[in-house]
Amino acid sequence: MKSPSFITVLSGLLTFGGILSAQEPTAPLLQSGDRIVLVGNTLFERARLFGQIETTLQIATGPEVKGITLRNLGWSGDSVFGDSRSYFGPPSEGRDRLARNLGETTPSVVLISYGTEAAMSVDQGWTEDAAHAAATAAGIEASRDVFLAGYEALIELVRKTSGESLREIVLISPPPLENLGAPLPDQTENNRRLAIFRDGIRDLAKKNSLRFVDLFAQMGGDSFKGEVAKPALTEDGVHYSEAGHAIVARELAKGLGYSEGSLIDRNLPAYEELKAAVIEKDRFFFHRWRPANETYLFLFRKHEQGQNAKEIPMFDPLIVAEEKKIEEARTRVFAGMTRN
Amino acid sequence: MKLSFSNRVATILTLGAITSLSHAQNGLRDIPDTAVEAQLNAFKLIEGAKINLFASEPAVANPTHMNWDQRGRLWVVSSPLYPHIQPGQEEQDKIVILEDTNGDGVADKHTDFATNLHIPTAVLPGDGGVYVANSVEVLFLRDTDGDDVADERKVVLSGFGTEDTHHLLHTFRWGPEGMIWMNQSIYIHTHLETPYGVRRLLGGGMWHFRPETRRAEVFMKGLVNSWGHVFDEWGQSFMTDGAGGQGINYVFPRSVFLSSPGASRILPGLNPGQPKHCGVEALTGRHVPDTLRGALAAPDFRGSRINLFQLTDKGSAYTSTQIADLVSSTHGAFRPIDVKMGPDGAVYIADWYNPIIQHGEVDFRDPRRDHAHGRIWRITFDGKELVKAPDLVKASEADLIQHSNAPEGWTREAATVELRARQPEAVQAALESARAPAGVDPDLFALRKVWTSQALHRFDAAGAAALLSSSNHKARAAALRAIYYDAATNPEALALAEKAIADPHPQVRLWGVSVLAQLSSPDTVKIALGALEGIELDEFLDFALWSICREHADRWTAAAQTGNPFANTTQLLFAVRALNQAVAVPQILSALGSGELPSDAQVTGVADWISKVGSAADLNALFEFALTEGAKPAHQTTILQALANAGSLRKLKPAGDTARLSRFLQSPDLATFTSAASLAGLWKLESAREGLRAAFLNAPTDEAKGRAALEGLIALGGPPTATMLDEIAKNAQSDYLLRSLAVIGRTKMDPNEGAKLAVAVLTEAPQGKDLHGIFDAFLANKQGPVALSNALSGATLPQAIALAGVQKASSAATKPEALVAALQKAGTIKPMKMALTPAEMEAMMKQVATLGDPHAGEVIYRRAALQCVVCHAIGGAGGVIGPDMVSIGASAPVDYLIESLLEPSKKIKEGYHTTLVTLKNGDSFAGAIAREDTNELVVRDAIGKENRIPKTEIASNQISPVSLMPPGLTAQLREDEFIHLVRFLSELGKDGDFKTPSNRFIRHWQTLMPHPSTRDRIGHYGTKIFTEAVSDYSWAPVYATVAGAVPVGELPEIEGRGKNRLGVARTFIEVKNAGPVKLRITGKLADLDLFHGDTEIAMPDGAETEITLDVKEPGRQKLTFAGLKGYGIEGVTVEVLDDASRADLVELNNF
Repeated sequence: MKSPSFITVLSGLLTFGGILSAQEPTAPLLQSGDRIVLVGNTLFERARLFGQIETTLQIATGPEVKGITLRNLGWSGDSVFGDSRSYFGPPSEGRDRLARNLGETTPSVVLISYGTEAAMSVDQGWTEDAAHAAATAAGIEASRDVFLAGYEALIELVRKTSGESLREIVLISPPPLENLGAPLPDQTENNRRLAIFRDGIRDLAKKNSLRFVDLFAQMGGDSFKGEVAKPALTEDGVHYSEAGHAIVARELAKGLGYSEGSLIDRNLPAYEELKAAVIEKDRFFFHRWRPANETYLFLFRKHEQGQNAKEIPMFDPLIVAEEKKIEEARTRVFAGMTRN
Repeated sequence: MKLSFSNRVATILTLGAITSLSHAQNGLRDIPDTAVEAQLNAFKLIEGAKINLFASEPAVANPTHMNWDQRGRLWVVSSPLYPHIQPGQEEQDKIVILEDTNGDGVADKHTDFATNLHIPTAVLPGDGGVYVANSVEVLFLRDTDGDDVADERKVVLSGFGTEDTHHLLHTFRWGPEGMIWMNQSIYIHTHLETPYGVRRLLGGGMWHFRPETRRAEVFMKGLVNSWGHVFDEWGQSFMTDGAGGQGINYVFPRSVFLSSPGASRILPGLNPGQPKHCGVEALTGRHVPDTLRGALAAPDFRGSRINLFQLTDKGSAYTSTQIADLVSSTHGAFRPIDVKMGPDGAVYIADWYNPIIQHGEVDFRDPRRDHAHGRIWRITFDGKELVKAPDLVKASEADLIQHSNAPEGWTREAATVELRARQPEAVQAALESARAPAGVDPDLFALRKVWTSQALHRFDAAGAAALLSSSNHKARAAALRAIYYDAATNPEALALAEKAIADPHPQVRLWGVSVLAQLSSPDTVKIALGALEGIELDEFLDFALWSICREHADRWTAAAQTGNPFANTTQLLFAVRALNQAVAVPQILSALGSGELPSDAQVTGVADWISKVGSAADLNALFEFALTEGAKPAHQTTILQALANAGSLRKLKPAGDTARLSRFLQSPDLATFTSAASLAGLWKLESAREGLRAAFLNAPTDEAKGRAALEGLIALGGPPTATMLDEIAKNAQSDYLLRSLAVIGRTKMDPNEGAKLAVAVLTEAPQGKDLHGIFDAFLANKQGPVALSNALSGATLPQAIALAGVQKASSAATKPEALVAALQKAGTIKPMKMALTPAEMEAMMKQVATLGDPHAGEVIYRRAALQCVVCHAIGGAGGVIGPDMVSIGASAPVDYLIESLLEPSKKIKEGYHTTLVTLKNGDSFAGAIAREDTNELVVRDAIGKENRIPKTEIASNQISPVSLMPPGLTAQLREDEFIHLVRFLSELGKDGDFKTPSNRFIRHWQTLMPHPSTRDRIGHYGTKIFTEAVSDYSWAPVYATVAGAVPVGELPEIEGRGKNRLGVARTFIEVKNAGPVKLRITGKLADLDLFHGDTEIAMPDGAETEITLDVKEPGRQKLTFAGLKGYGIEGVTVEVLDDASRADLVELNNF
């Protein structure tokens, strides 16, 4: 077997709130002890497999900020109405579930990212929510308006259910789609739609006095002219590859007020250890918040296997142990140390 | 003295504390011998077959799925992690490659390709790597440096649900067109972001996915555990279900089957009442015996066997006939869960190897769950050469195209997958110059070229269009299926579909409709409805048309506001009924009035539809039609029923003179009277009160009519009804039936008033039995249980009637605990716990094993008093309310069986949960949701009755933790009887006397109930009198035993000549064409008279004979027998020797 190849993308990030020319001045987001919670769809769900977003943020905050933890509540195909989270019920049950998860994860900072699922499904519909399903299939304007109304309700839900620890909500526009050439479909039109959704999300952030990260613009969505991506950052024009996620993570960090620098040697073993601990922690957390067999453990067949639900909280100490490793690896990264 | 078993249990339990059984399921004491020899010795094979071990642990443990690569290596996924990862456990499930390098039929090399998976449930090599279902994701794993170990891992799709790990995405297969087909089961909710938009599948169903375009689309929905999918030679799809029990299912685009959430209509499988299956494969190629070639092999993992089915064409779909088993085993851990033809032409079987199959029912951490063993078996056939697999990797493109026409399905599929890896230009050039190999049907060859072009993503649309002119309907249907996938971008598709709609063959029409459903033309429905013309519509084509009328409703409803957008009124009626909305009502009603819709089915259709969607004026038009001079009585009955439905479900009545109803209250016809009585109440026709009162008081003579009149009186309501019922119930001189009905009626009006009357009436219940359903009336009302328990406060009841009440209340979905307590107090019944301690359970299991007699147990199972047969079928013979028991013994441990008999609510089979629907008016309905649409929900209750409930009336709708099966059904048994019963259940499905044989025994019968006229008439006319249509003969359902026999001794005694006593039974078969039909009869033939229609068939002496029915008129044939009791006749079996294409068996509900 090959040795695992390091993806050489993260070019190191500084923590001193440096200002990039194109962006408005932004104060760095994170403080010691912050709990970041990610709420979104496929982009975030798959981020757990690569560990890039958290690893990047852990380093970007610099050595002075300590004890950052992250909980990823991303769910493939989810919408602002909570479609993917609902299991057997209507999407409103998905929102109930999200509310419960937010309460359990006690976030200080919630990063929200939606929009791809909606922009790509204009004219087809993208939610099962009975009150909105028809509008989501009725053209771009109707679809966007329903999206933004749902998004605003979601922000309200996050505010209400995250508990007193909540300090900031950040809206993140989806990154752009790519053209990879035939036989994959051309995404020019979808990118145009995505820009319209992005504009709406930006206005929504402004209206609600929230931070906004324009991943779409930062990753070239506005200058996209239908060209075939080289090199491709996505697997299929939509979903970012491991290399793509490194860029997403870097741009996200920039959008949150962190600037590029060159302090960190990404080839340090400690860097890979940090990323590995992040991925392992996310794996444990996945089994914790989205366990398999929920029908038997918690839902209408719990009289059969509910006795085994006691195992699920037993992932908590495993998560805490990995977080300790994350903090240690992070310290070594900053110290420029290697394990040996 | 008969000491009831329940008393004994109760006694024991008063002594000791009750321990939960959930951690003490020790039913399976004898873990089967894990040695390979033990399994080898336990196989029974179809004639001429041999079996050998291809691979086993440690190379494979608990295999869940397998597929071959183009090099002839077998890729197997296995999951010791199943059913649930433990905290701290590594994700170490694996993919192993098994290779037979020297061709001796045994894998001599195994390589772990990946060892870092989480409950993988499907594996499919291709495209230079392997696709794997890994819980929430489809992964593509690749080896980039040639050591057969994956070093690249990419997520291809994500968002699959994991609500139940035996429902995870599964059953990957390459289609002939080069797409990946994959299935998910009932509890899985999937949300994919594809480059074409979000795709969601909430519940079971099947996807197709083209890797190079990343397009994933839903093909069909439903099935409980859709664990098998195979293509026949012409590319049609057949699926099996691990829990649905309808054998082979024919599926097509947008078809919907059992368990699909929110489905308002579902299609049946082709083998109702068959065992449940995991996997399915077509037996193909030169090594397979001629008699088996083309058969579908479906592993019955519960029964440790592999069933075989033969398909024959029938209308737009197929009939499927079960033939002999390919292999069966008495080894309880043999769990065949996948079957695939191999490169050498042999049959390969993945044996999950586990004594426990259950998921929910057995604890995840039960130590008997095997996590270490797994077997791959190989079946070969004597006298048939094995096939030499071609070297596909080295073959030229031209050779690969020849191989894609091989007689072996394996070679064809692998060649297609290899062609996908080649330069498309080179393949296309080879395709253009390819010639059909000798012996290959030119249409099949042309079709395979089309498929290959699709596999390259260079669809040969012209080739597909040309196939539509084939003389073979299978080629035409297949061409349409090839066109279907990309029809939306194919400019020819509309014209081709239009041509298909007029095709003489219904299956081609069905695919024409499927193609139309993909198109955006405004005329799709108009074109599709042409399929109604000139042929007999069957259920599958009907479904496809129904579906497109709904899906494309916005394309025709505007035009239907004022006119008829379709070719004729019949088409319009079909469309509006499918849509189930008030569209084109004036046109339809006017057509009804002018006689344009004359058939009974059309009148029923109009009436049913208007009752659901029509206005008061529309209802009046319908009413007028029924009142028309010369209206057919059948039409009048239909219309009154429809008006009654509209009245009760929609609170709507005709806008006209409703008093004209009175003439129907004089009707001698029960159905007409019942509807009229109900309407008189709903329409508040005071003038009808006297007539209804008279009919009610006549209930002791005509109960059915009396009950119908009562419903009318209740609906009419008011003090007159209340006073009348109060007086009857309080009058101890009244007939007991009348008093009971009065209590029931009063309870429906006001449960508190009913309860005041109930105690006195229940106290006088004859033999302590609730003969007329007083308890049911209270349990069917939200306030009822509380009202009755209040009334019982301080009262006493005879113990027997109180017990009957406890039993009914204990199985009520509302869990009326206060009522149970009140009944126990009133009847001075000690609380009876039906749970055993672990020690008692162990002792009982020992007795089942040593003393239990399954033959005695079957007799007990069939006793009317136990009611097992009323709700449960065995192999399709029996009721449909509870799960089919066909292989319960092979799949459930003994402790599970005991526990389920004593405490039915403890473990409830998936799909059999009770839903409790409570209405705003307090009425409640408990049962299974049969179907639903936007307006109504249909709940099937514990006696199989379907209740239609308007959704607007529903206050709450929840899944109840209570089983529909009442506890205490076995309380009447002695302990020895209980032990025999458990032993019988524990043998069901295991190899031996209680595995339902695949012979086509007639299992559905009716038996004649004793009748006063038989004794005299038989003296004059002989047993032929039983074939006559005597109107007051009463026939009760009876099912054959597991072995297929009708036990004559069990049948009611019919008086014959002198002291002769007879058992009489009849059944039906459906014969396709005139000509001979062969039957085999067994039993003591000398004492048996058998009739075909009214013609007696001479019986020889002896115990077995084959006879030939001479069928002159095709269609339904009646068979009647009379067996002379008491001289050793025992069981009679009647087996149909012709297959389903010649003669279909008829189920009781269609008698």
